[in-house]
Amino acid sequence: MTGAHAGTGEGTDPRRHVTDYFRLERQEIPPPAGREASSAVVGRAPVDEHLRGPAGGMRTGGLLTSLDSLGGFTSGLAVLPQWIVTTSLMATVSELTHVGPLRIRADVVRKGRNSVITALDVVDEGAGDRHVAAATMTCAVLDPGDMTLEFTRPAFVAMAAPQPGAPPPDEFFSIVPGGGPVTRMVLEDRLRNPWGILHGGAVAMLADEAACRAAAGRPGAAGTRGVAAGDVVLHYLRPVRVGPVEARCTVLGTRSGRTTVRVAIHDVGSDDRMVTAGAVTVLAV
Amino acid sequence: MAVPGYPPEHLLGDLGIAAEITTETTARVRTRVTPFVATPDGRVRAGVLATLVDVVGGAIAARVLAPDWLATADLSLQLVGPVLGPFVEARGSVLRRGRTTLVIEALVVAVDEDGVEPEVDGRTPDPVAWASMTFAVLPARGSEPSERLTTELPVRWGYSGGDLAVPVLEAVQVTVEDRATGRLSVPVRPYVHNSFGALQGGAIALLAEAAGAEALGAARGGDATDVVVTDLQIAYLALGKVGPVVSAARVLALGDDGRGGAVVELHDTGADDRLTTVVNVSAEPVGPRVGVGA
Repeated sequence: MTGAHAGTGEGTDPRRHVTDYFRLERQEIPPPAGREASSAVVGRAPVDEHLRGPAGGMRTGGLLTSLDSLGGFTSGLAVLPQWIVTTSLMATVSELTHVGPLRIRADVVRKGRNSVITALDVVDEGAGDRHVAAATMTCAVLDPGDMTLEFTRPAFVAMAAPQPGAPPPDEFFSIVPGGGPVTRMVLEDRLRNPWGILHGGAVAMLADEAACRAAAGRPGAAGTRGVAAGDVVLHYLRPVRVGPVEARCTVLGTRSGRTTVRVAIHDVGSDDRMVTAGAVTVLAV
Repeated sequence: MAVPGYPPEHLLGDLGIAAEITTETTARVRTRVTPFVATPDGRVRAGVLATLVDVVGGAIAARVLAPDWLATADLSLQLVGPVLGPFVEARGSVLRRGRTTLVIEALVVAVDEDGVEPEVDGRTPDPVAWASMTFAVLPARGSEPSERLTTELPVRWGYSGGDLAVPVLEAVQVTVEDRATGRLSVPVRPYVHNSFGALQGGAIALLAEAAGAEALGAARGGDATDVVVTDLQIAYLALGKVGPVVSAARVLALGDDGRGGAVVELHDTGADDRLTTVVNVSAEPVGPRVGVGA
């Protein structure tokens, strides 16, 4: 049994609610016997219909959510009995059309006293292991406080069952419908992680949706099926505790059909402080 | 003037880099655009822009974190618009100063001799690039270099040295050993040292850019002059102190539109082949010639 219990109340399990939505299976791969190294973790996630975006594959925000979950899990296992929080995520996406399932491998490339860096690689099993994305994720090491971390090693989390009638990601993450340069998310308790703060994957999905809305009217998008997020850099500056959460976008420019959007995310209810900043590349598809 | 910690003949001097602290949490750093720092289509190399960003970030971080010291943890750069001015300028500002990290954002813009952005058709053109950096905070222990640096570093300075007279990769002494695998090598010498005596962050970006371009160019059946690197996502894991530092590139994909991506790893071969850096590189086919020499 793998589990962590933060005492965040009844109802949804804050450790599994978001990963179960994406049906992310996680399997720890210990290092070879006698070798001093951190475990790798391999994840698998199907590309269910409700997760697909205009390009035909899993939306990049959803992919980032799985990367955040798997990279965080890998980093956390590396520093037990301490735990981690994500501080930055840099992803380059090479393929927006997926068959699925996607297979993600996370390897610790540096473990320091205060931080852990993991390299993540994503391939499409259903398309002959075609490459989908590469990412680098940095986590800060934290004292877990009251959180109880219980893991049977090697750790394994099974793929959740399909959820008939599951909502699309923007609805699941309570992103308010609209358009233009500002996009809002309601901070529902079910979107909080075991620390009680907004799940990093929810922030990534908000960045994806907000950047796409901001870039939708740019030249090059007309006459296409829509727009989709590609490469992403996100710096998680502060935790989101109160909400609502607002993503404010600035379109920096378009180059070779790719629009670069600066995204600044604010916790409106917490003195409007900036909680995440980064840039998203948006493509017409 | 010479900057403490840097020799008189240095990459930053040859790039003619001039820096200015503009507020307690902002700075700007500029270099002249010449053919020696240009891509095959006449833009400025992503690695050179990353060098500017590395300098502006370091200048801000050294002051903001004093008396603590700093280590660069990551740097990202995305090219956006063309270079229209005779200079490019990185303008950096602090996004967040935490207990263990400092995050800085930078916009790179084209400017004229007076530091003014040129107008095109009555509007300011798109920025040349967007960038970000994270620094790890290293707590001060007694009298450390950071204390000397912050008291000695002026508000405005330029790195001394001559003008770059050869292509920047040649100046850094990048050697191509195998194009297809992106195996390139660079010696660690004072010309490319940072203040730790290790390979400077900008030189690391230049090596990764060149390695990614060689591998992606070869994968397209050509060479590095067929592609332009547009995005760098750099994770600095360890210092490259001994050298030579050698790259290895893994091509991830080549799209129908000619865009491609690669992961480049840098190893310090003189230090037990230690992995020092992981870089995600994106590139596009070389386009019509613009900017320098157009």
